[in-house]
Order: sequence, then structure tokens, then C-alpha cells
Amino acid sequence: MILQQLVNGLTLGSLYALIALGYTMVYGVLLMINFAHSEIFMSGAFISLLVYQRLIPWLSPSEAWLVAIVLAFGGSALLALVVERFAYRPLRRSSRLTPLISAIGVSILLQNAGFLFISDQSLAYPQVFEIRHYQWGGVEINSLQILILVVSLGLMGILHLFVNRTRLGTAIRATAQDSTTASLMGIPVNGIIALTFLLGGALGGVAGALNGLYYGSIKYNMGFIPGIKAFTAAVLGGIGNIPGAMWGGIILGVLESLAAGLIPNGSEWKDVIAFSILILILLFRPEGLFGRHVPEKL
Amino acid sequence: MKKVFCGLLALAILAGCGPKEKVARIAVALPLTGDIAALGQGLKRACTLALEESAQNRHSTGFRVEIKTFDDRSDPKEAVDVANRIVSDASVVAVIGHFNSGCSLPASLVYARHHLAMISPAASNPKLTLQQLDPSWRYPKTIFRVNTTDDIQGSYAGEFAVKTLKARRACIIHDKTAYGQGVAEEFRKRLEALGGTALSFDGVNVADKDFNALLTRLHELHPQMIYFGGDYAGGGLIVRQARGVGEKAPMVLSEANFDPEFLRVAGAAAEGCYVTFLGSPTSLLPSARRFVDAYRARYPGVEVKAYDGYGYEAMAIVLSLIEKVGPDRVKILAALPSVAYQGVLGETRFDQKGDTLNHRITLFQVKDGQFQPVK
Repeated sequence: MILQQLVNGLTLGSLYALIALGYTMVYGVLLMINFAHSEIFMSGAFISLLVYQRLIPWLSPSEAWLVAIVLAFGGSALLALVVERFAYRPLRRSSRLTPLISAIGVSILLQNAGFLFISDQSLAYPQVFEIRHYQWGGVEINSLQILILVVSLGLMGILHLFVNRTRLGTAIRATAQDSTTASLMGIPVNGIIALTFLLGGALGGVAGALNGLYYGSIKYNMGFIPGIKAFTAAVLGGIGNIPGAMWGGIILGVLESLAAGLIPNGSEWKDVIAFSILILILLFRPEGLFGRHVPEKL
Repeated sequence: MKKVFCGLLALAILAGCGPKEKVARIAVALPLTGDIAALGQGLKRACTLALEESAQNRHSTGFRVEIKTFDDRSDPKEAVDVANRIVSDASVVAVIGHFNSGCSLPASLVYARHHLAMISPAASNPKLTLQQLDPSWRYPKTIFRVNTTDDIQGSYAGEFAVKTLKARRACIIHDKTAYGQGVAEEFRKRLEALGGTALSFDGVNVADKDFNALLTRLHELHPQMIYFGGDYAGGGLIVRQARGVGEKAPMVLSEANFDPEFLRVAGAAAEGCYVTFLGSPTSLLPSARRFVDAYRARYPGVEVKAYDGYGYEAMAIVLSLIEKVGPDRVKILAALPSVAYQGVLGETRFDQKGDTLNHRITLFQVKDGQFQPVK
């Protein structure tokens, strides 16, 4: 029973983690919360569905979906890039609050664009392949959950290697540490900031497509709740810290599932429980589980 | 020169206020955006159709009837705001609305305070009209509805579970709204009265998408059936995920799931699920056939939604009263209790509370991706 809830929680948590990475990476380089990220996630779901429907006459469902998720990866990355270029970069030199307000504006704009131009109802997301159930020591896991776990953990692993083992990754870390010095060292800071949006957007887009496949329906306002949860996960792990976001997402997903699954009537209380634990952790570790305490940059 | 210009201007203004036809407005307060906008939009179309049809066969009576639509976004707070805007417009003679019980309850107090009649085409929580029989109710009877209520629907489902499905151990889920929780409680009452047991009674958040944890826990309880009270946003996902965690027990859902959207969200998992419906859908009533044809002719390519017949009926009743007593708030309110209207839903007459005496419930089962009435 607990193991079964762990499987549910891990699946949910790995989706949270994928979204949380976008929040945390952008915060790392810009000290800004990108509230439009939840709509990037939504756009990934819509791009993948629209592409899938276009391709289905010519390709088999699983091939079509493979193309669709790759395009969701690229399309959402591109959208994040456009948002950064037009809504945040012009405000780079203004106060810390200005880009935040701009982000909320972009979020509302994208939601309503989805509402007006695509659909104001939920769209059914097709079941791309036959779902198989595997029994393993009393725990049931289905092929969708395995797919989500493999894709999200795989992407997180690749991101981790990219940030820690490549020149570009070093540039990202340098920019996050001290952008002024980084630019003096010849690092194109603007390009690096754009790159973090690109990476975060791509992961968010994939999370959106996986979310659609897993729950079977998508909607223009689907990003709001997962966005809030993922942001919470990023704070829990230590905002600005990449492994922290991954762990934060997984911990939050597992906590929610255990609360809803083990306590009678727990589904009403799961958010209360999960967020109370978050508050407790932040009271004792304001920098989050993995964050390092850094003095305020001026 | 300046004087002449001013004079001309004054004339122009006066000319604009010549003798004009009086306008009587019927306010239609529904969720036109948000989660269940599709249902609200359908009702709005039905109301418009009723008005257009009556306008064709009405002679000049010195006033014009118009619809004024308001959007409550299925949000109780918004509904109260809408209600306050409606009562402050003196040209409004009656209200059709609201859709949700959660919106209708607080809004109904605003209308009662201003002695404005409200006819709900869909809100099904019994409390809505019952509050008028309370000794502390200081207003005239202003609340009426043309659809059947949850106490009838919930107990019907409870009876069906025990007597037809032979299920004595049931898990109950609701969406914590006035509607969903209300109907789930009625179901539980009837189930326990007939000797069944409720293994669990859980509320879920409307905005949630992941019910796997809850359903895994319910699966361990080995229920013989699962009941859900709430609308299709939750219902579709719950059905889909229940089948996903391997739960094979039959499921019965409340009438807000009677919508193509439910079938889309639940997908193949919907197969075999039961949905109770208040009254008879227009597709089954001989008296409604003409309405469905007119609706299709007026809105080609649009599917007739579950409640559209009720919206049409509520509008037709108000229009017939305007015909009879004139466009006047007080007179319409006085005439409503004695209404006996033959229309799309069969005969509508109101009881002591203001509820329709039409207590029909239809049970549907999903077969081959379609709602099929169960005989």
C-alpha cells in the first residue's frame, strides 16, 4: 500500500520536478520568479496535441507522438525564449519587481490566448499506446508511469551533466554566481540567460505533453496548479539550486500522495499537509533543503 | 452664432429622447466562461431561442422584451456581485439562473431581498428552495426551479446501487461543492437506510487532476460500487484513473456528468458507467422534439446540451407570465406559484417550496461511447 502510493507520488513528483527546474534555473541567473512558466508548460501540452492530430493520418500513433513531444520540447523552448526577449530583457535594468509583474501579465496573456484561439473547453488527449500493467511484489505500475519516470529522470540526468560537465554549463553556473564578473571574463551573459530560459522552457514543455498523456485531458488553465506546486517544490529544494528542484519536486509529489492515500479523507487535506511541511522546513532552513545561504546581492 | 449652435445642440439632444418603446429585460445569469462554460453557453442559446420564438408571435404591446446576460464564472462570490448588478437595474423583471447550487444559494438571498423572481434551470441542491419554508425567512417566495432536486436524484442512485447493482459496500467521492457534496450525502442516506455501508466519504478539490492516491486507497477497500457527486471536470478524470489503478467496480455519477465532455475526458474508461439525470433529457421527451428541431435549425452544428431544455422552459414560463400580467416584477412574482405550463418538459407546476412537481429521473449507462438510457 505504501509502496503503491510511492509509485503514484514518484510519478507526480517527477512531473513537478521537471517544471520546477524552469523556475529554479531562471531564478539562479536572474533572481526572478518567472510566473509565466506555468503557461509554457500548458503550451507544451497544446503543441504536442495539435502536432499529434496533424500527423496521425500519416504516422502510427507512437511515431506521431514521438514527433509531437520533440516539437513540444522545441516549441515551448522557443516560446520561453520569445517571452524572455520581449517581456523580460527590456526590463533587465529596472527594479526587481517590474519583471515579476511583467511575468504575471504574460501568464494571463498566454492563458487567454489559449482560451480564445484554441479552446475554452478541455480537449481530450488521446491514449497513444496500449497501457500495460505490471505487477511486481504487490505493487502495480503501468507503462505510462514508467514512461514518465524514464523520460523525466533521463532529462534531469542530461541537464545535470550539461550544467556540470560542459563549457556552456560552466558559463551558466558562472552567470548565476556573479553575472558582472562573468561578463568581464568574456561570457555573453545575455545569451546565457536566454539559454536558461530555453532549457527551462523545453523541460516545461515536455512536462506538459507528459501531463496531457497521463491525465488524458488538457485545458487552457491547466498550468496554474502544477505551476504553483512546482514553484513550491523549487523553494523547498532551495531556489536557484538544480538538484534541489529535482528533489523538491519528488518530495512534494510523494508527500501529497502519502497524505491523500494513507489518511482517511486525506485528499481534502493533502495540500494542507504538504504545505504545512513546506512551512516547517522553511522555518528551520529558510534557504531550502539544498540551497546555500548567500548574502543578498546588491 | 454661438447661441444658434447651442440651440441646435439642445434640439438634437431632445430629439434623441422621443417617445420610445419600453424595454422589459429578463436577466440570464450563468457561467459563460470558466470550467463549465459550455453548459452555460448552451443555456444562453436556449433562452435566446425561446425569446426569438415568442417575439415572432407577439403583437405590439407597447414594450419590448430583451435578454440581458451576466457571467457568474461558476464562482459564488462573482454570483453575488452579478445578483447585485441585476437587482439595481429597474428594467429587469425576472432572473433565469444560476447554474450552480453554490452560486444560486448566495445569489438567491439578494433577489429575495429585492422581491425579484428567480427561476433556476439547473441548480439542484434542495436547500435552495427549502430555505423559503424556514420560519426565519422574511421575504416573499422568490425562488423557483424547473429541474428535479438532488434529494430525489441521490436517493434514486442509492436505491439503484442496493437493489439493482446489489452493492452494499460503496465508496463515495464528492467535489466539496454545495451540489456535489449535497447529492453525495443524499446518496449515502439512502444507501444506509437500505442496509448498505459507506466504506468512505471523501472530498476532492475541483481543480485537482491527480486522484491516483485516493483511488489507490479506495481500491484497497474492495468496494462493490463507487459513487461520485460533482461535475464532469472531476468525474471524467476519476473514472479514468479508477480504471487505471485497476478498480473494476461499477460507478454511478451525478447528473452534471451527463455531457459529451465527460466522455471525452474519461475516454474508454467511461464504458459501463451509470449517470443519473434529473427529469428526462430533451432527446427522450416527445414534447421536446419540436424544441430540439428548432434548436438545430437556429444553431446548426451545435450539440444540444443537457440542460438546454430547462433553460428554454424557464424562459418560456417567464415570457408567458409577461404576456399574462405584463412586464412587472411584483405581478410576475405573484403569478408564479400558480403556474401550470405545458411545454418541453411536460407539465411544470410548482409545489409549496417552489420546486417543480415533475420528479422524473432517467438513468443512463455509457455504451459504445454513448449515453444510452437504461430501461
